[in-house]
Amino acid sequence: MPAPEVHHLFHHPIADHSFSADRQTLAVARDNNVELYGKSGSNFSLQDELKGHDKTVTGVDIAPETGRIVTYRNAYVWEPSPTGWKPTLVLLRINRAATFVRWSPSERKFAVGSGARVIAICYFEEENDWWVSKHLKKPIRSTITTVAWHPNSVLLAAGSTDSHARVFSSFIKGVDARPEASVWGERLPFNTVCGEYLNNSAGWVHGCAFSPSGNALAFTAHDSSVTIVYPSGPDQDPKAVVSISTQLLPFLSLVWNGEDEIIAAGYDCEAYRLQGNERGWQIVGSMESKGRPGMGAAREESALNMFRQMDLKGKAKDDTQLKTVHQNTIATIRIYDEAGGAIRKFSTSGVDGRVAIWST
Amino acid sequence: MAAANWRTINIDLYDPDSSANFPIASLLPSSIPTTSASEVQSLAGQIKQLLRGGDTEGALRGALENVPYGGDSAAKEVHLATVVEILQSTKQSDMSPMLSRIYSSEGGTELLDVLMKYLYRGMSHSSQPSASTRAQSPQPTGFSQIHSRGGGEGGGQTMSVLLSWHEKLVEIAGAGCIVRVMTDRRTV
Repeated sequence: MPAPEVHHLFHHPIADHSFSADRQTLAVARDNNVELYGKSGSNFSLQDELKGHDKTVTGVDIAPETGRIVTYRNAYVWEPSPTGWKPTLVLLRINRAATFVRWSPSERKFAVGSGARVIAICYFEEENDWWVSKHLKKPIRSTITTVAWHPNSVLLAAGSTDSHARVFSSFIKGVDARPEASVWGERLPFNTVCGEYLNNSAGWVHGCAFSPSGNALAFTAHDSSVTIVYPSGPDQDPKAVVSISTQLLPFLSLVWNGEDEIIAAGYDCEAYRLQGNERGWQIVGSMESKGRPGMGAAREESALNMFRQMDLKGKAKDDTQLKTVHQNTIATIRIYDEAGGAIRKFSTSGVDGRVAIWST
Repeated sequence: MAAANWRTINIDLYDPDSSANFPIASLLPSSIPTTSASEVQSLAGQIKQLLRGGDTEGALRGALENVPYGGDSAAKEVHLATVVEILQSTKQSDMSPMLSRIYSSEGGTELLDVLMKYLYRGMSHSSQPSASTRAQSPQPTGFSQIHSRGGGEGGGQTMSVLLSWHEKLVEIAGAGCIVRVMTDRRTV
């Protein structure tokens, strides 16, 4: 496994990051702006800033083909134009902060999770030349922390601080083609609740994701667990719900690598690999390759230096550096390069202002 | 109306969207059987039997598998006393091997989470000076399950037992175990 590619962009937390389809542009959410980094050689350098938000930007997502969106209270869709990036305001009609945003795979809709206990499903209305939103409300009881799209662009999974992970239908007439019947249901009018899951220790949900086929849902919660749900059909109990309690701190974000592997990362500052199937899952290990060059290679210290350190800092060795690539919590993990559901590379970003690209 | 002290009105009660009106019960799994104090009492009898027979691990397992989540405070009190008794009668050198055996068994992580709950519960108990008021006591775990009890002189000894269990438990079940205790609404 080659060493990960690490880009230390700045000393600020990165709330969210997203790569463009050609992987030449990287957008990161930093404070009130979104910064666009262009790839030059092997590094990323600042190219452009998207300004206009007056509050913290909590999410950013580049649709592979079209625009992008960023959120707080009101979302913007930014579209490339000859004179730069042009923002279009989207009225979300929410009275609390937006927390999370993702384009649907069809790129005709996006979902915005918010503190107002609604998910706004936004789509472009041709007649009015305007982005409009429709709300998923029932039965959400608290802030939405995460959303994830099913490959059919109709089903949406959402995790909430009321500790439930839910699957909704976000079918919008005229925008979506009628979805094929799946394990989640056959007829799916808007706001159908296709599933509602709570695990025993009831931690609030940090991240969720559908498997590449869309037939399984994984979510990670603040009780340091990952739960994988295999539904069996509409209005039936799922055929398997596998919950793994880990020894680690909670994961914040996860991605599927094929149908039987999940990569998750969070407060432990490193990414872990989980493997399993309907009969059970377990943590296989860290994605971090121990003993990378430059790390942990203790230099030969002189006695003088040691005593000087003892005098200055009260200890002989400086141990403020973590042994992991990320020096703080990993907030987002995304697929960077994949083929047929199998991930070749994935990217992580976190509170330490680093973006790292890993090979699986 | 003019006499109403509007500064002290709890406006959250009138706002259906307020987080103060959040239904906590929705965080509990749907099926928690209610347990009465007498059932817990008879269970305690059986467990003490095991303990006297020298089967500490069996006693601990039995206690952790049958937790009176649905019981009233009296039932929970009795069960806490049972668990603490088992913990106190375990030799220091037996702790780690016993915990690793439980951890690697079926459903073991769940049992150790329960044990962690009882450790914190026990600590909040025995650290409670008999005459103090509830409001002053620090609650590092965020639990609202403190009850005052005359834990005066024996408290220090119980605490040291609980702390050494805590150390051993974190070695085996990791920080995840503590995080789960903090999020879990099924209190003991």
